[in-house]
Amino acid sequence: MIPSEQGTAAKPTSKYRSQLRIYVDIMRVIQRENNEAKPTRILYGANLSHDRLVKYLEELRGLKVIQEGGTEDKIYSLTQKGIEFMNNFRRVESFASAFGFKI
Amino acid sequence: MEFIAFAIALAVAHQALKGYKLSKEKTLLYLNLSFVLLGAGLLIDGLANLVIVLARFHRAFLFLSPLGYTMNFVAQVLAYGLLVFAYIEQTRNVNIQIAMAAAPLLLFEHNAVTELILIFLLVYISAQTAINYSMNKTTNALLVFGAFASLAMSHLFFLLFTLAPVFFPFAHVAQLFGFLLLLAMLFRVNSPS
Repeated sequence: MIPSEQGTAAKPTSKYRSQLRIYVDIMRVIQRENNEAKPTRILYGANLSHDRLVKYLEELRGLKVIQEGGTEDKIYSLTQKGIEFMNNFRRVESFASAFGFKI
Repeated sequence: MEFIAFAIALAVAHQALKGYKLSKEKTLLYLNLSFVLLGAGLLIDGLANLVIVLARFHRAFLFLSPLGYTMNFVAQVLAYGLLVFAYIEQTRNVNIQIAMAAAPLLLFEHNAVTELILIFLLVYISAQTAINYSMNKTTNALLVFGAFASLAMSHLFFLLFTLAPVFFPFAHVAQLFGFLLLLAMLFRVNSPS
């Protein structure tokens, strides 16, 4: 399970994204790029600064939901655990959205 | 019919709990508690009626009918109240302490006042889900709106039942239909994309 940021759960009115939402945004970009995304694509796709991107990629690697590959350029892909997490998240998001709740 | 609705309510509660564990979003916890309460109310009411039928309407067991209805009514008021609170918190981002209502000391039969309270809560929830559907335009949002609108209709029929007994089966069918719509939404959410 990926934890959300302590005490800063995202609300639709909030201008800040929760940690969980940022994780999901990063992983969505990787999935969109056929599970092989360069850092620059993730940076633009997830709308993050370079420093924050490095921090979050490191955290996601620590959680074993993404892995780093590539020889010259770094390439990130989702692990099996990451794919399963995204499938579960999609279900939860779809369920919450049916009731009009945002996560 | 109550037992089918009870099973569906528990399935919705389970899905909401899974969502809460994954996202830690409080509104999903409220949704879970709301459907646990709905399920508990339906189970108690269903069991009370079942005992009465099995006892062949013996006078000694007839008190179970108002007892079951009262407990179901209290559970529904708390459940729908919790959902209304979740919608208010989500839309206004307010942090209100939940005030637990004191348990009623009187036992209710089906009556106009209790049904009006439930209709009021369900109309509010139906309106919120209708707004959600008008923005999302997804089938799942339509199913949830249909479910709460159907539950509101069922309580309207229960209200009319206090005037004419002919509305009683319509009320139960509308209630079951509402829960079946929620079941359809659950199947869609969990179907592989």
